[in-house]
Amino acid sequence: MDLGFLAQFFVNGLVLGVIYALVAVGFTLFFGVLDVIKFSHGDVLMLGAFTALATYLGLSDIGVAPGVALILVFVAGIAGMAFVGAIVCKFLVLPLRGAPQLNTLLITLMFGTVIRESVRLFYPSGSNPKPFPKLLPDNAFEFGNLTLRLDSCIIVLLGILAIIFTQLFIQKTKFGLAIRAVAQDEETARLMGVNFKTVVLLTFALGSALAAVGGISTGLYYQEINFAMGLMLGLIGFSSAVLGGLGSLYGAIAGGFLFAALQTVGAVWFAVPAYKDVFAFAVVIMLMAWRPTGLLAERNEERV
Amino acid sequence: MNKVIVKILLMAFLATLIGCSDSSNKVKITFIGPLTGGVSAGGLGGRNSAELAVRLRNASGQSKYSYELVPLDDECKPNIGVQVATKASADPAVIAGVTHYCSAVAMGTVDIYHKFGLPVIVWGAVLPDITYANDYKEIHRVNGTMINQNEVAANFMVERGYKTWAVIHDTTDYGKGHNEYFSKSLSPLGGKILGTFAVNAEQQDFTAELTQIKRLNPDVIYFGGLAPTGVRIRAQMEKLAMDQVFQGTSGIVSDAFIEGAGDLAEGVLAFREGAPTEKLPGGAVFIEKYTEANFNEPPEAYGAFSFAAANLIMDAIEKVGPDRIAVMAELNATNDHDSIIGKISFDDHGQNTVAVITKYVIQDGKWVVWEDSSYAAGAKRLTR
Amino acid sequence: MANFVKGHFLITILATIAGLFVYFFLHLERSWEIVLVVGLAVLTMVVSRRKNLIARAQETCLQKPKFSISVFFVAAVAIIFALRSEHFALLMLTTVLLYITVCFGLTAQFGFVGLVNFAGIAFFGIGAYTTAVLYQYAAIPDFLIILASGLVAAVIGSILILPILRTKGHYAALITIAFGVLFRTFLEVNDTLGGPQGLKVDGISVFGLSFNENINLGLLGTGSSYVTYSILALVLCLVTFVFVRRMENSWVGLNMDMVRHDEIAAASFGIHPPSWKILAFTLGNFFAGLAGSIYASMSGFIAPASFNFADSLVLVSIVLLGGLGNVFSVIPAAFLVVVLPEKLQLIQEYRLLIFGIVVILILRFKPSGIMPRGARRYYPSLGVKK
Repeated sequence: MDLGFLAQFFVNGLVLGVIYALVAVGFTLFFGVLDVIKFSHGDVLMLGAFTALATYLGLSDIGVAPGVALILVFVAGIAGMAFVGAIVCKFLVLPLRGAPQLNTLLITLMFGTVIRESVRLFYPSGSNPKPFPKLLPDNAFEFGNLTLRLDSCIIVLLGILAIIFTQLFIQKTKFGLAIRAVAQDEETARLMGVNFKTVVLLTFALGSALAAVGGISTGLYYQEINFAMGLMLGLIGFSSAVLGGLGSLYGAIAGGFLFAALQTVGAVWFAVPAYKDVFAFAVVIMLMAWRPTGLLAERNEERV
Repeated sequence: MNKVIVKILLMAFLATLIGCSDSSNKVKITFIGPLTGGVSAGGLGGRNSAELAVRLRNASGQSKYSYELVPLDDECKPNIGVQVATKASADPAVIAGVTHYCSAVAMGTVDIYHKFGLPVIVWGAVLPDITYANDYKEIHRVNGTMINQNEVAANFMVERGYKTWAVIHDTTDYGKGHNEYFSKSLSPLGGKILGTFAVNAEQQDFTAELTQIKRLNPDVIYFGGLAPTGVRIRAQMEKLAMDQVFQGTSGIVSDAFIEGAGDLAEGVLAFREGAPTEKLPGGAVFIEKYTEANFNEPPEAYGAFSFAAANLIMDAIEKVGPDRIAVMAELNATNDHDSIIGKISFDDHGQNTVAVITKYVIQDGKWVVWEDSSYAAGAKRLTR
Repeated sequence: MANFVKGHFLITILATIAGLFVYFFLHLERSWEIVLVVGLAVLTMVVSRRKNLIARAQETCLQKPKFSISVFFVAAVAIIFALRSEHFALLMLTTVLLYITVCFGLTAQFGFVGLVNFAGIAFFGIGAYTTAVLYQYAAIPDFLIILASGLVAAVIGSILILPILRTKGHYAALITIAFGVLFRTFLEVNDTLGGPQGLKVDGISVFGLSFNENINLGLLGTGSSYVTYSILALVLCLVTFVFVRRMENSWVGLNMDMVRHDEIAAASFGIHPPSWKILAFTLGNFFAGLAGSIYASMSGFIAPASFNFADSLVLVSIVLLGGLGNVFSVIPAAFLVVVLPEKLQLIQEYRLLIFGIVVILILRFKPSGIMPRGARRYYPSLGVKK
């Protein structure tokens, strides 16, 4: 195969990988602090994209310049989803702490359904796919058979920046320290004066904000969003996070890129490209059999 | 204590029983189409049109019966379609049905209608097998099939000098059918298909398939599938700087495609059986009444067919009374029946003969008949 | 003696009430009537919980298991008879019975040994597809086709055993989720199994009696073709119920409880946890396959879209809403989850939204389900000391 096409496949996979990693990091954050899976994550992503779209439409009505609009769109999406994330945490996740973990999974899943259905029903003709505005410069660079578009590059860069920011936040700030403390040992952290509730709420806000970034990136990349897009992205993000090892930030990132790579390889490899998802999920199952707690999980001796 | 509760409950049940005496003696007609999901635009347009037909009939004051439309949602999914078709057919008050926009769904439900003996008229699904792969007397169709559509499409494209194609089709019977009939029509004309890609209708990312197509470098990308998938493919072609002509089928002739694809919709081609609504014999009247009725959604490409099908059913009921078997016989005998889509005649498979195929191109955010477009006049040019 | 008679009388009354509820729930069409019936049911639940009636009723039934089962069976047959000419109500009833069967299997997996299975609908689907394929290509008796479908589901499930045994908790959940998605995508892409278009399935016929024809009941009018299927499903459901209950009450259930509570402790007492997990997992998938087989012949048509990840979630929500591990609880929960959205079709577009909100409310305010599992009863026939 021509090198240019190979590079093209690599670039396609890279953009997917960044989006998956953004979703996976959210899953891993929630799991880190509370040991729960918040399955409405994919739908929060979708809601983020729709919030951004609505903001853009509102702004363009009053004639705001596209550059400013881009920033405001991100701000609205991120702030909105951070708020939704905190709300979900406060009213659906924290009250269920005593119940079996699966109840949390189910309640957030149902909340995801509620978000999805609400967008479908209450967003104007929400059941149709919506065009997402082209807010990024779409200059294209041709290198032989490789077409590199500026917007794809910006999306990749943006995603990586968001993840680096999260990493720095967790490693370098006092709040990040509190998050890590809670993740390590909740009770000790409480004893040390960490405000548990605030930390958890903030983590959920942070993770959901990342989902918003993922959602807007998806919109900017595909130039189309629809009410059902969150379901599959959520599943893939969850798979990526688990594949990498729940609770591990690097694991989630690695998982996201690995999943994108599997899909891309599958699409090139099989005569019928649609087999790529079958291939990717089959490999996930096999990898899990090989490394039962994910690729980069901490080794955890079980105490009796 | 127990006994008291039991008594209370039993009394409540009796009350409920008395409450549910049947009061309506309306003649029910069902409408089935996708009311939710990605292709709901077409379904809602169809439902509104059928609803309009029923309203006009009830308001005319000349009908013997009072009609009620029972709209059901098949979500464009065969399994849901089978469920709601069973529900409609199992209700003895439902006399006939105006059913299905999605071929994939219709293929699954024809057996149900046959089993329960419910006469139906298909209003939008175009796969030939729906009427021709069985001998069911219950199944009729007012719109044409995809065979003629693809013959015209292949002829037209070859005449315009295109030589090579890549085919993307979804893996439902609808997409597969288009792939089959288009390939069949194209090969005698000398057109070459460089590659065929079966994709999942709900797939989000097509960059891998499109990169493969870019390698093959065809003149035209033929897409056999429905609007939501088409929008995605069109948008992602842009990602890879592909300038191929995008040629669609009747499944994308919908305002939803233009809304979804935005500026990229410009110059997209598609083919559909039947004349455009405004050029139909009763098109102007239909559009006028439809506008008067203030529906939230436009009638879309197949609304007129749905309207005609509902009227055809009501005409039959007026003539022979609300009885499924009699209505079915009456429908089967339909010959040169006047309607807004022209004369309707069913052949022995219940298929209406629709000779006209309309060629569409999207120009300035509208579906324009090719002959009337700036493209045909030479003012605008397709990408290749 | 008087006590004895009273017990039988109570059970009969219970069965009658339950039967009436189910009948009206399935029969009624109008929204306000449905709301009324559901409201009544909730009211009854609340009142009886106040008076501790549910526990007492369960107690009475537990003391006379054979009698209660036969009475409830008769009640179910009576419902089917009463609905004999209503195709759609029977279709729903049969679907519920099949879902209940699957959920019994899931209860064994999830409730007994603690294995979460998010691919329940995939195994149901494997059963359905096996049936479709066998009808097309093999001339074997219908009874064997149903059995074979269950076996195929169990065998395919065994692929997952190794990864499931090695992983725990959310990691194990991922494996079943991945399998569920994989299964559906595979079906959609695969051409030989019909792709997204799905397959047509022939109906069952036994001794020349085709299950898909309407039955002539003479003076009683015609019976819907679904009558036969609902009875078949009822029998399957009953057999599964008895099987799972027996298992729960025996030493097998005891061992499984131990595996769920503490694997390490169980292992140190000489129990081999993997064997019990494999047993429960395989058995659950087997039941799902059997139910899927009947579903396929009944609906006459199957497509990948019937076996979505979302449907697996419906199954899991039934098990959790009812009360994890309580075999009885599956029954009311299945009726609620399967029939209610269907009945609320009149407010069509909003039904999923409302369903989502209802489930959230139940989980939020009644987290252990509507009928939580009680403590293990070692001598059920002796009753509880008050």
